[in-house]
Amino acid sequence: MSAGLVSVLFVAVALVAAGAFVATWKKDLSAALAGIPLMFGGAGVAFAGAARFSAAGDPKIFGQEVAALLAVAALALVALGVGIAGRGTSR
Amino acid sequence: MDSLHAIGFYVSAAISVGGGLMVAFLPGRGARGLAVAASGLGIAGLYASLSADFAGLIALVCYAGCALLIAAPRYRVVDSPAGFAWRQAGAVAAAALFAVLAYAAYRGDFVSATYRGGEIGSAAIGRVLFAHDALAVEAVGALVLVALVGATAAWRVRDRGR
Repeated sequence: MSAGLVSVLFVAVALVAAGAFVATWKKDLSAALAGIPLMFGGAGVAFAGAARFSAAGDPKIFGQEVAALLAVAALALVALGVGIAGRGTSR
Repeated sequence: MDSLHAIGFYVSAAISVGGGLMVAFLPGRGARGLAVAASGLGIAGLYASLSADFAGLIALVCYAGCALLIAAPRYRVVDSPAGFAWRQAGAVAAAALFAVLAYAAYRGDFVSATYRGGEIGSAAIGRVLFAHDALAVEAVGALVLVALVGATAAWRVRDRGR
């Protein structure tokens, strides 16, 4: 059993599509915020996979760096969104 | 990628994508928070199986934070003005996005290469973050600062309004 770059990209695409689905499907905009970390996670997986299977180019760990930055950015955006949504009604 | 890493990769992929789909269909903020946490665990596992252990650790912490934010009692409902038809169109567009990107990934002509990695590599990533790509790190830092200040301001405005 093995996994190559195409498998990694398939999973990344599935995560991005799942995030887009959550963002569009949920009627509650606060719940739709949960799609952001999924989409960013998919992008990060694609970057990490490209770094893992890349043939050339420096630095080799550029993709890992972008993946880490995307995770932090997703947390920041969710915090901002939940904060703005805090002006709505509680349920 | 050896068999052990491949098994970890596919299990993590199932957890992350399954968690993402549960976010869409589970009712209640607590269940959604748990689903985001499960998805984050899967994404961290994906990073680990791709020899990106340090990014996996950061993702684990950040997705736990996202799950706490989504499941926290401060969560408020904001109804979307878009109707059911538009949301259905968005779901179909998400499926079309998956089809297009998956086709691009399948048809892509990628060069395979060997990789001698495996360690956490935090020192190397730190050098890249703070020396090679310092501007990008500062941009993300500014985004985090603006997000936290905005969230704090929004919470204070709401508390004053009571």
